[in-house]
Amino acid sequence: MAVAQRTTRTKKNTLAKWRRRLVSVLVTIVLLALTLVVIVPFVWMLVISVRSTGEILNNPYGLPNPIRWQNYTKLFFDPEYRFYRYFFNSIFVSGFALLLNGVIATMGGYGFGRSRYDFKFRGLLLAALLGALMLPPQILYIPQFVMMSNYGLIGTRWALVLLYAVGALPVSVYLMATYFSQLPSELEDAARIDGCNDFGMFWRVMLPLARPAMATVILLNFMHFWNELLLAITMNPNPEMRTLPAQIFHFVGEHGVDYALAGASLVSAAAPVIVLYLFLSERFIEGLTAGAIKG
Amino acid sequence: MVTKVGTKGKTVAAPRKPWRKPWGAIALFIGPVMIAYAIFTVYPLLASIYYSFHKIQPIGPGKILYTFVGLENFKALLNDYRFTDFAVPNTLIWGAFGPVIEMITATTLALIVYFKVPFHRFYRTAWFLPQLVSGVIIGLVFRWIFNVDWGLLNVTLRAVGLDSLALNWLGRTDTPLWVVIFVHYWATFGYSFILLLAGLTTIPEELIEAAYIDGATRLQAIRRVLLPLLRPTFVTVLILSFMGKMRAFNVVWVLTGGGPIHRSETVATYVQKRAFNWTSLDLGYPSAMAVVWFGVVMISVGLITRWLRGQAEY
Repeated sequence: MAVAQRTTRTKKNTLAKWRRRLVSVLVTIVLLALTLVVIVPFVWMLVISVRSTGEILNNPYGLPNPIRWQNYTKLFFDPEYRFYRYFFNSIFVSGFALLLNGVIATMGGYGFGRSRYDFKFRGLLLAALLGALMLPPQILYIPQFVMMSNYGLIGTRWALVLLYAVGALPVSVYLMATYFSQLPSELEDAARIDGCNDFGMFWRVMLPLARPAMATVILLNFMHFWNELLLAITMNPNPEMRTLPAQIFHFVGEHGVDYALAGASLVSAAAPVIVLYLFLSERFIEGLTAGAIKG
Repeated sequence: MVTKVGTKGKTVAAPRKPWRKPWGAIALFIGPVMIAYAIFTVYPLLASIYYSFHKIQPIGPGKILYTFVGLENFKALLNDYRFTDFAVPNTLIWGAFGPVIEMITATTLALIVYFKVPFHRFYRTAWFLPQLVSGVIIGLVFRWIFNVDWGLLNVTLRAVGLDSLALNWLGRTDTPLWVVIFVHYWATFGYSFILLLAGLTTIPEELIEAAYIDGATRLQAIRRVLLPLLRPTFVTVLILSFMGKMRAFNVVWVLTGGGPIHRSETVATYVQKRAFNWTSLDLGYPSAMAVVWFGVVMISVGLITRWLRGQAEY
């Protein structure tokens, strides 16, 4: 960090030292207050999920007494709510989208990243691919809806699988291409000498080396697919195949005002990503900042 | 380099076969990406533009009628009070205020955490949490927090005697937009913060130490060294923040739905309403709206970039 400044001990310096301490304490108080504002909604959500709606309306601050874990079992398995179904839909959609995106993006990253595959318009194509990041969803999702309607995929999970997988391609390809471009070329020469064709080189040598980048891509994409709302509600007007965000959105509308259960639904949907984050925060941040930073 | 037989053990370069570009492999690897991209991104983009010149109505199961209407949709936009008096001004206000506040606060926080105040690692982890969670969750939780009767905010205000401040945040006409802006800020400031912090950490420490050696105070080091070097990242984050606000949907939709009576309507929510929640179904009009707004955003980004990057390149 900073080079320490040596000073002699004078009255002025002691005063300055105390002023610095005061500032430090004040700053800490302000920052902790800010952090409180960030954390309180999460904690509150957790707390109300194990109370009853009556209790919440009476006193939103109260602590759960008793702690109603049964809210969760009711939410998940009660025939009226059957949340396990939407959890499954989310896992289904995210899983297949990750798979599809992973395969296409890794191959694409390899093709865009290795210098042996460079050709005159490659840079242009990559730029065109990345240009998609400037596109707002509004300019895509109406025709996407019509497309899915024509394919008969509205109300199925596959519509989301396709759209999520392709929607994430720019970022995923960019991350993989950057990673692949940094691997030494001797590896390919060695593989070629061992008799590999191009796909062999990819499959046997480069791909196994790409695991760290793939892990980042998967983590990042999982978060986006799991949380996505706009396409989820557009492609699934009927409840059956809805993902978690879509169903949560309709939940309060369809099930009146059971806030406790709604709270439980929020916690269930938020938990997976938060848990992953608490274990893997470095990977998350690395993935999200890559490319946005010059340097 | 290869040892050619018959050269008395000296190493010479073997004459290489002329290397043909592996087109097959190229097509194999980047083909799927570009094809998928063309079908599901490029085509919809072009289709939106096509739609914006048409009236598009479903007239029976699986049948859609496309009627060319030229610039009708665009003219109608200018006469649509919901667009001109609510959606556009709201979104522009948001696009103007939001990024400014976000950049000032996020940069300040990034600088503070960069100088490693106590608990800095905890802050970094905590402030990013809102980013991890779906907009639907954020919208709902805050809809409850801002509830006029039993929401956390008003109950707290009443408990400390500030009853007069316990407003009907989401029900009045003057507050919902600001609630939306605040909640969205809550959800996204962590991202800007992290990006700026990452940008700061790429600045070589020697430069700051050199400034200290030259007698600079911490504040001077910030102003003269860190901020200028942070500039590229700053501009990138500002643009990302701006674009985000101009297209934001999830939080607004769940928090207020654009209401009450359009007071928190944004272009994004209005597009959604016209496309999927309107009594007369026509996909051409919202497409025109989306196309126009995309143009507005792109031009704005171009202007911002030119303004900020054009300044003092040293």
